[in-house]
Amino acid sequence: MVAGDQSDPADVLILGAGPGGYVAALRAAQLGRSVTLVERSGRVGGVCLNEGCIPSKHVARFAAAKSTAEKLAASGMPSLSGLPDMAAYQKSRAGAVGTLVKGVTSLLEAAGVKVVTGSARFVGRTRVCVEIGEESVRYFDFKDVVIATGSSALTHETMPYDGDRVVEPSRAFEWKEVPADLLVVGSDYIALEIAVAYARLGSRVTLASRERLLPDFDQDLSAAAQRGAKTAGVNVVTSSDLKSVGPAGARVVVSAGRRANLDELDLQLAGLTPSGGMLHVDAQLRIDRHVFAIGDVTDGLPLAHRAMMQGRVAGDILGGKTAAFDSRAIPRIVFAEPEIAAAGLTEAEAHAADVEVTIGRFPLAALGRAVIESSTSGFAKLLFAKDGGTLLGAHLAGPRSTELIAEMVLAIEMGATAEDLALTVHAHPTFAESLMEAAEVSLGRAIHVRGGPKR
Amino acid sequence: MARFEFRLPDIGEGLAEAEVARWLVATGDRVTEDQPVVEMMTDKATVELPSPGAGVVVEQRVAEGDVVKTGAVLYVIETDAQIAAGGGSTHAEEPSRSAPATASVSENAGVLAPPAVRKLARELGVDLAAVKGTGPGGRISAEDVKGHTAAAPAAPATAAGGRRVRLRGVQKRMAETMTLSARTIPHVTGFHELDAGAFADLVTRLRRDAESKGARFPFDTLLVRAAAIALRRHPIFNSSLDDERGEIVMHEDVNVGVATATPDGLIVPVVKHADTLDLNALAAAVDRVTLAAREGKVSVSDVQGGTFTISNTGAWRGGLGTSLIRPPEAAIVAFGRIEEKAVVRDGNVVARPVMPMSVTFDHRMIDGEQGLSFALTLRSLIEKPEQLGA
Repeated sequence: MVAGDQSDPADVLILGAGPGGYVAALRAAQLGRSVTLVERSGRVGGVCLNEGCIPSKHVARFAAAKSTAEKLAASGMPSLSGLPDMAAYQKSRAGAVGTLVKGVTSLLEAAGVKVVTGSARFVGRTRVCVEIGEESVRYFDFKDVVIATGSSALTHETMPYDGDRVVEPSRAFEWKEVPADLLVVGSDYIALEIAVAYARLGSRVTLASRERLLPDFDQDLSAAAQRGAKTAGVNVVTSSDLKSVGPAGARVVVSAGRRANLDELDLQLAGLTPSGGMLHVDAQLRIDRHVFAIGDVTDGLPLAHRAMMQGRVAGDILGGKTAAFDSRAIPRIVFAEPEIAAAGLTEAEAHAADVEVTIGRFPLAALGRAVIESSTSGFAKLLFAKDGGTLLGAHLAGPRSTELIAEMVLAIEMGATAEDLALTVHAHPTFAESLMEAAEVSLGRAIHVRGGPKR
Repeated sequence: MARFEFRLPDIGEGLAEAEVARWLVATGDRVTEDQPVVEMMTDKATVELPSPGAGVVVEQRVAEGDVVKTGAVLYVIETDAQIAAGGGSTHAEEPSRSAPATASVSENAGVLAPPAVRKLARELGVDLAAVKGTGPGGRISAEDVKGHTAAAPAAPATAAGGRRVRLRGVQKRMAETMTLSARTIPHVTGFHELDAGAFADLVTRLRRDAESKGARFPFDTLLVRAAAIALRRHPIFNSSLDDERGEIVMHEDVNVGVATATPDGLIVPVVKHADTLDLNALAAAVDRVTLAAREGKVSVSDVQGGTFTISNTGAWRGGLGTSLIRPPEAAIVAFGRIEEKAVVRDGNVVARPVMPMSVTFDHRMIDGEQGLSFALTLRSLIEKPEQLGA
């Protein structure tokens, strides 16, 4: 590299075409900026679309359908037998991913976003070098840059990935056969989803974690997850000695968390210093006047929908609009047995923060829809401020929780109260009624559970 | 627990010093990580410096109004956890970019307002914490936000729905300086039309010469030269009024500021000792400071010490108007765009390149006759540019 190498001007340069980066690119382009989007993998959509959210939910849905069909056999449904044809299944999964990648690609094209394939690193405060293949490099002098390089699976200290027997979670969605024995290591939603999916598909699964499952969720949801995993046939083991769990010769998937992809960016050459392996941004997602960061590289939950909202806000600001990332609740969803979803404060967090809450808990056993679907073990647990009654947290376990949480997030954003929820008509018979019912419980006047107000 | 001396980091753009604008916390106050502790002001911007960690500020080593150098200890904090050397200090070879200012993700976290209302408030520059919500439980509606804007006494004439932008940095500085100027200085402005034919030709020739040697020759060079010569002949224009002591300070140095439009706003970098520099050195100095200003790279010393200002609105194809004097200076001269105009010469109407000029002076120090005399000197220098020694 020589000073004075030829460089291209880039009005807006976005590093990473994941859910944060591509959304920021589209929004900034809509607002008239000229956008160059750099992606090292050669495929837009990032980890989420190509190897994370979309493939994992595809597998989860396939496994859940099998489990539902098996349950219905008791009610006279023709029974399924044997293991699924995973090779055929993988074709349909790859097809779904392909459709979505193509969709994003064509949106970027239509918006006039220039997509460059290569690995980016900073070589100055306003200059980025992109290595394209082995030999070719391009330099970009940017006016504004957005760091959206995402995160990678962390390696487990005692069980490093070997690419064959011990693999990172994303590999588990590509298997062309159902492993006979599977050891899943980890306590997070990723580990839980894989364990439940493969148990439903026919593997003998051991899920080994050092702590309670879903440790950062409400205790009640952790308990529901643990019970549900057992129901799905997962052998849940809480142990710190990983060598002693699981049958020898089992395939092993390890989910040890994620770390921001910052090491290869040479941030110090741009005068940027991450702290704690993260970038810290303000409400405008800026680190510096012309440097933005969004998604998993920023301090916060490494979730695609958070990155996408940040991408929209960053794109708005790049387009000259007044905007801020000030979301009050980021939903978290788990496609396990049962589906689990949460938004806002947990009971423990409310307690730790000295926030006085009224809790409304409604068991699905009292809900018509849940009886129809023979899924009566879940619940809706809502936390309302004792003072004023606004919804502060929602913790759902049961079918369609991952969809129902949207109403709860909206309610938190709107500052809705228990009365608001209780007085809103929810269609019958649906799982959504559980939210209205939980609000009623918190107000001490439940209809469908005993212990309502007495005269 | 650890004691940590927080030093003034390089706050960027080559500034070696900054003024302590405001303490945001008192000695003994507890602060969280990244909480702004002190506000520093440079001639270019105001920056809030966040705490490197959670802890208690045990000592403030500088006072508001102090001008401190990069690396000087601003305060001492007893932190809850060890802070790595380099956090907030100047050890890194490449200075770290300043951390973002205060706005945090949880702004307005306790306020009852839905997302669309929060957006509206942001766009109108309304602090939701100050808005009284009329909805149930104090919920804030869009109408409440709009009503608050209309009721705000600070902006009686602002139409609802406009965007509000906080005054800061260069713009804030401009607002302060110009308010002081308009409030304290009795301005008098005289207008003149100069025949700029020879002047324009000379500039063109000098520029071509310079460019053939790979150098640059800014148009303003000869205007600065003309001003410097005129200031030497009329020292009262190169002075300041010390109001408190009832004295006029006649400056030794002739330091000419050149009003420069930058993306951040108006900056006036100063060409020091403009009367002593030879033409090449003067051209280089004008080029350096104005370019630095436009690129946002001027140092504090580049914008300090001015004794007089020129403003060449012609450079932006501007016409001519009055100017405001930059206190504590005594005068300012503005030049408009050179345009062909019909003028009468020897009884005939001819087309001549005409440059408009306005001379604005502080009538507390300078009277009308002195003002006219200075203007005529400038006029003579520009109309007969051979006097400029170029």
